[in-house]
Amino acid sequence: MTTSLGADLRLAWQLTRGSDRREWWRIALTATGAALATGFALTAGALASLRGDHYTVSFAAGLLSEPGTRSGVILALLLLLVPVLGFLGQCTRIGAVHRDRRLAGLRLTGATPGQVRRIAALETGLTCLLGSAAATVVSVPVLAAVWERPTVLTWVVLALVAVAVPVLGATAGALALRRVVASPLGWVRRVGPARPGRGPGRLFLLSLLPVAGAALLAATTTSDTTRGPGQWHTPMAVFGGLLAVGAGSVWLSGATCRVVGRRLAVRARSAATLIAAERLRDDPWAAARAHAAVLLVTVAGTGFMGVRHIMVDGLRRDEQLGESVSYYTTGLNLTAAAIAVGLLITLSALAVGTAESIATRRRGLAAQVAAGVPRAVLNRALLLETALPLAPSLLVAGVGGLTVGAGYSTVTGADVLPWSALLVPVTVYVGCLLAAATALPLLGRTLRPSELRHT
Amino acid sequence: MSTRHILLGLLASGPSHGYDLKRRHDERFPQARPLAYGQVYTTLQRLVRDGLAEVEGTDSDGGPERTMYRATDEGTRELTKWAGEIAPPAPFVTNEIFAKVVVSILSDGDPAGYLRAQRAAHMERMRELTAVKAARGADLATVLSADFALNHLDADLRWMTTTAARLTTLTAEVDTA
Amino acid sequence: MSNGDNTAGPLLAGRGLVKAYGRTEALRGADVALSAGEILAVTGASGSGKSTLMHCLSGIVRPDAGSVTYAGRQLEGLPEKELSELRRTRFGVVFQFGQLIPELTAVDNVALPLMLAGTDRTESRSTAGEWLERFGVRAQGELRPGEMSGGQAQRAALARALVTGPEVVFADEPTGALDSLASEQVMTALVHTAREAGTAVLLITHDAQVAAYADREVQLRDGVVAPLGVTA
Repeated sequence: MTTSLGADLRLAWQLTRGSDRREWWRIALTATGAALATGFALTAGALASLRGDHYTVSFAAGLLSEPGTRSGVILALLLLLVPVLGFLGQCTRIGAVHRDRRLAGLRLTGATPGQVRRIAALETGLTCLLGSAAATVVSVPVLAAVWERPTVLTWVVLALVAVAVPVLGATAGALALRRVVASPLGWVRRVGPARPGRGPGRLFLLSLLPVAGAALLAATTTSDTTRGPGQWHTPMAVFGGLLAVGAGSVWLSGATCRVVGRRLAVRARSAATLIAAERLRDDPWAAARAHAAVLLVTVAGTGFMGVRHIMVDGLRRDEQLGESVSYYTTGLNLTAAAIAVGLLITLSALAVGTAESIATRRRGLAAQVAAGVPRAVLNRALLLETALPLAPSLLVAGVGGLTVGAGYSTVTGADVLPWSALLVPVTVYVGCLLAAATALPLLGRTLRPSELRHT
Repeated sequence: MSTRHILLGLLASGPSHGYDLKRRHDERFPQARPLAYGQVYTTLQRLVRDGLAEVEGTDSDGGPERTMYRATDEGTRELTKWAGEIAPPAPFVTNEIFAKVVVSILSDGDPAGYLRAQRAAHMERMRELTAVKAARGADLATVLSADFALNHLDADLRWMTTTAARLTTLTAEVDTA
Repeated sequence: MSNGDNTAGPLLAGRGLVKAYGRTEALRGADVALSAGEILAVTGASGSGKSTLMHCLSGIVRPDAGSVTYAGRQLEGLPEKELSELRRTRFGVVFQFGQLIPELTAVDNVALPLMLAGTDRTESRSTAGEWLERFGVRAQGELRPGEMSGGQAQRAALARALVTGPEVVFADEPTGALDSLASEQVMTALVHTAREAGTAVLLITHDAQVAAYADREVQLRDGVVAPLGVTA
């Protein structure tokens, strides 16, 4: 069966328009995520298109004028894409059950697998296009205003990024639907928790690869023109270590969720712990998806705080500095800001994920309240679901980050213990609990008896 | 329902006398109308006349003498044939309830009130049968025969509910006809 | 029938209950009374307000007008926390589905109300096991609801509703998703246990065969209790 792209597009539009409010939330949040991704990638791309050190950029104490520090900024921007990807991953899950059912229904009425996949890809792709277009429309005039004569390469890079974001979004949308396409009946009728084993966020891991690749490429091509590469070996090693620890943390968070769930399910003494533990055991990867980015930010944050602690300490003692102190501190503060932004995005993803988990289970939760389960118990179970597995994995992530800091301390010969880095895991932990807690009012609003009405 | 075939069926498990057949019938079909002795003896005599059963002998068993009957080969064949035949699905609709509704409309009565009362009577009977069925230690034969009656009463009830909801249209139709 | 309005007074009574959802008036002045140990069927077509009546009587929903009295206490004045406790300790609820937590095993689901009441986990689980046994699903105790058949899951749900020894069980179409055989097993289990324990049951159903398990029936029509039988 061949249908035109136009027909699919119309169908995709009609299906989206007829969908409920939560799907509009998905569209809005996905577009926001896409806009963020485009913004970071555009800035990184524009900076990467600079060659040599003939530029004077009047921002950030001259950090962007230097090819070496510039590559650091590019790296930071590209690394910021990681939490954005995590955020996007959570956004696609809003109303996912409804969408899956809708598309499976489409399959049952005779649409070919290819058609369903195209419609899904169009839905996600168009949403991402919305975000990427918005970000581009804002970025281009800003760029034109700041920079008098942008090179052709810059424009090419900008165009590539603006197109790549929706294309990647569409691809991810089609990939995420592979099970719906394979077995439409199973997804239409799915009610209970029996579900095919979910992957450990393979999409997330896969998407990390191009980011890491781009980061390394950008770092090497922009930094070796003037200064010797030796000076940048240490930061490169730091970022390399970061990526390794980060990839490990994806697996770590999944494994922790499973182990914590299994152990606690047997030993739980209170109802809230029991519910939280059994939910973790039932689907450890659902929690892991949200937690992986948290762990990455924690490793990055702890590592950075360690490095910063040592550098600030060194700056105070060292009188033979090549540049003004503000040159260095601006760099450090910029990095801190980048990590803070990353943390904020990650926490938003966590909040979105928690809210979605409540929305999906609202009927069952309403039944629990009707049966007299106190809301406080359900609230506690929800928080424990975040708190329990995050504690051990944040500990490991903190130790990982500290190792980076300690390693840097050894390499630079600065005999300092970067204790201030220890604040990061604690802050992140508290932040995560607060983010999960933002979903609690939703739990209260969700538990309406109208949810109990069947038929 | 054919008493002949039911007695033949009870004889299939071995020779038996009239009193025993009646007792076993009432046990097996607890919700059915109990068989009268006279009916049992008349039917047995007719079975013998038609060559489907024969007299096995007499058995006194300490009490008064009783005639034992057993099924003949032809009787067994007849039974097999009957058991395999399908029962004609509701050949004649003799619906007293519907007749009463129509008569009630024609005589300016209260068909809705009648349907409500009939429904209450049906529900009462269903509660009785359900109590029999749900009693502890009820055997499966009891449960199944109660179920049979319950399902029929339930069908009547559903029909009455639908009819009650459509009485206005029916009244208009009956009155103009 | 006189709605059990005798001298001893009903265990649970709703009077003049009115409840509207938006412009839809689900209840328009419904009166109903349930005596201790009585099994009462509330029947009526879909949309007649059956579920809303149950929600009002069990304190899940506050009526717009009218009053609900349980054991001499007015439910209207009670704060949500006390209503929740009442539902947890004095009432049991069974829905068509959804009252079991999908991630918990049958035993843990049944043990949950006991744990909420402060009993420790081991003891709760062992009591839960006995209740599952009573409903013939002990062998399925370590399965999750999604892994059980519909009838088994409903019997586990009955065990959860009855495990705390409630005074009233609210059953909203408890057999709605079951075939007739499973439905019969669930209803027999419910009626036997309720009679033994002296538990009153408010049975919401549109199915006459299910309603026939009750001692008495009231019929809802357009949000009010409709007259039954000849006394119309």
